[in-house]
Amino acid sequence: MNAADPIIRLHRITKFFGTFKALSEVSLEIKAGEKVVVLGPSGSGKSTLLRTINRLESIDAGTIVIDGRNLYGDGEDINRIRMEVGMVFQSFNLFRHKTVLENLTLAPIKLKKMGREQAESLALSLLDKVGMRDRAGHYPIQLSGGQQQRVAIARALAMEPKIMLFDEPTSALDPEMINEVLEVMVALAREGMTMVVVTHEMGFAREVADTVVFMDGGAIVEVADPLSFFTNPQNPRSQLFLKQILAPATR
Amino acid sequence: MPEPGITKIDVGDGAAIPTPDDKGLVSAWWIALTGAVVLLVLLPWLKPDPYLNILRFVPDGIVVTFQVTVFSITLAIVIGLLTGLGRISRNRFVNLAASLYVEVVRGIPLLVQLFYIYYALGRFVRVPDMLAAVIAMAFCYGAYMGEVFRAGIKSIDHGQTEAALSLGFNQRQTMAYVILPQAWRTILPPVGNEFIALLKDTSLVSILAVADILRRGREYASESFNYFETYTMIALIYLLITLILSKLISIMEHRLSHYERR
Repeated sequence: MNAADPIIRLHRITKFFGTFKALSEVSLEIKAGEKVVVLGPSGSGKSTLLRTINRLESIDAGTIVIDGRNLYGDGEDINRIRMEVGMVFQSFNLFRHKTVLENLTLAPIKLKKMGREQAESLALSLLDKVGMRDRAGHYPIQLSGGQQQRVAIARALAMEPKIMLFDEPTSALDPEMINEVLEVMVALAREGMTMVVVTHEMGFAREVADTVVFMDGGAIVEVADPLSFFTNPQNPRSQLFLKQILAPATR
Repeated sequence: MPEPGITKIDVGDGAAIPTPDDKGLVSAWWIALTGAVVLLVLLPWLKPDPYLNILRFVPDGIVVTFQVTVFSITLAIVIGLLTGLGRISRNRFVNLAASLYVEVVRGIPLLVQLFYIYYALGRFVRVPDMLAAVIAMAFCYGAYMGEVFRAGIKSIDHGQTEAALSLGFNQRQTMAYVILPQAWRTILPPVGNEFIALLKDTSLVSILAVADILRRGREYASESFNYFETYTMIALIYLLITLILSKLISIMEHRLSHYERR
């Protein structure tokens, strides 16, 4: 594979929920190391698009190629592809019956046949990175939302993925916990991870994104670098969206 | 002095439903247990014939009742797990087979099933009465257990499944490592209740020449004609056993919920 080839290639993706067209011929290419932030009003299809990338959401038409492998190709093992695509959810979804450390070691031990010691030292170094090493023995229910989300990021990283998907990772958090999670994501971006982030955090988009993708009505409306998107949006719908979210509260 | 013209409605501050640790509540469990123990001790002591004789005659049956119960529940749990998984399976054939099994079993009285399986088995193979009884009980309870397992599995938030799949676990691994270990906590208490229900229902197997508590009692009564006294003792023995078991289950349930709160 050529270095310039996209690591994620979505080609004319269409997805229906019943008769509702959630995605309409969406095409997008993402290069290795690129940070893409997907913006858009709720119901615009951004989470659905993200979830098609690791096939948590099936598609009705189109092709998805991840790291040279067709997600719907014959003989492709979806589980092997998923190992290389980490995902962070809005609701954290930590395994409630496992400690923080076990949350991180479960997949490497079972799926990569990694030895327990090796998996644990990898897990501890990742917990160090997200500032959660001292909570390794705790259960998820004992942690705050921000802490759970940082552990969830570390859990996804424990599989050493090539791509990380974030589905509104801070939307379920209390305001004072948002930054601790964003800081971890910024640090991850600096390390060169390929990231696709659905979020409402405009500050994060501005600071971290290489590319901003704006969606509306199940279609990509505008693709731009953050500077041009936030200062000079081209599409009327992007302009309206930015006006709505950036308008100062007038009360 | 009440003010004229004003109707006062007392709205209490207490909980609408009394909580288990409400001081005012007297534990029915303790009364029942004390009553059962006192009668089981007092009656044989005051009137050894027939009560003490009954107590001497019946214990073999207690062992048999427990054997049938334990074997049946073990088998029923296995059948129940498979049925529960079948009922949530996307495979149409598996799903239909499991659902059909549940529908049929739930629609036929246990006693009829016992007879049916006992005689149906008897037509083809010669199996010991005890084995036939265990198979019949497990076949019936497996269906109920299947619903318990299905409910337990479905009670686990779908996000857990998605998290596991996103890491690369396949459906089977997700079930084994993530869903079932969590569902177990929801499943265990109802399984305990099924255990007690099954223990009581094993009294039906006395009809199939299995010498359980009830059958031993009947044998004694038909020889001595002390029907009333015998069945009094039989009832007390069942009561004592189920009271103890239900306490054990509620302790276990409490431990499990404690784990969740930790």
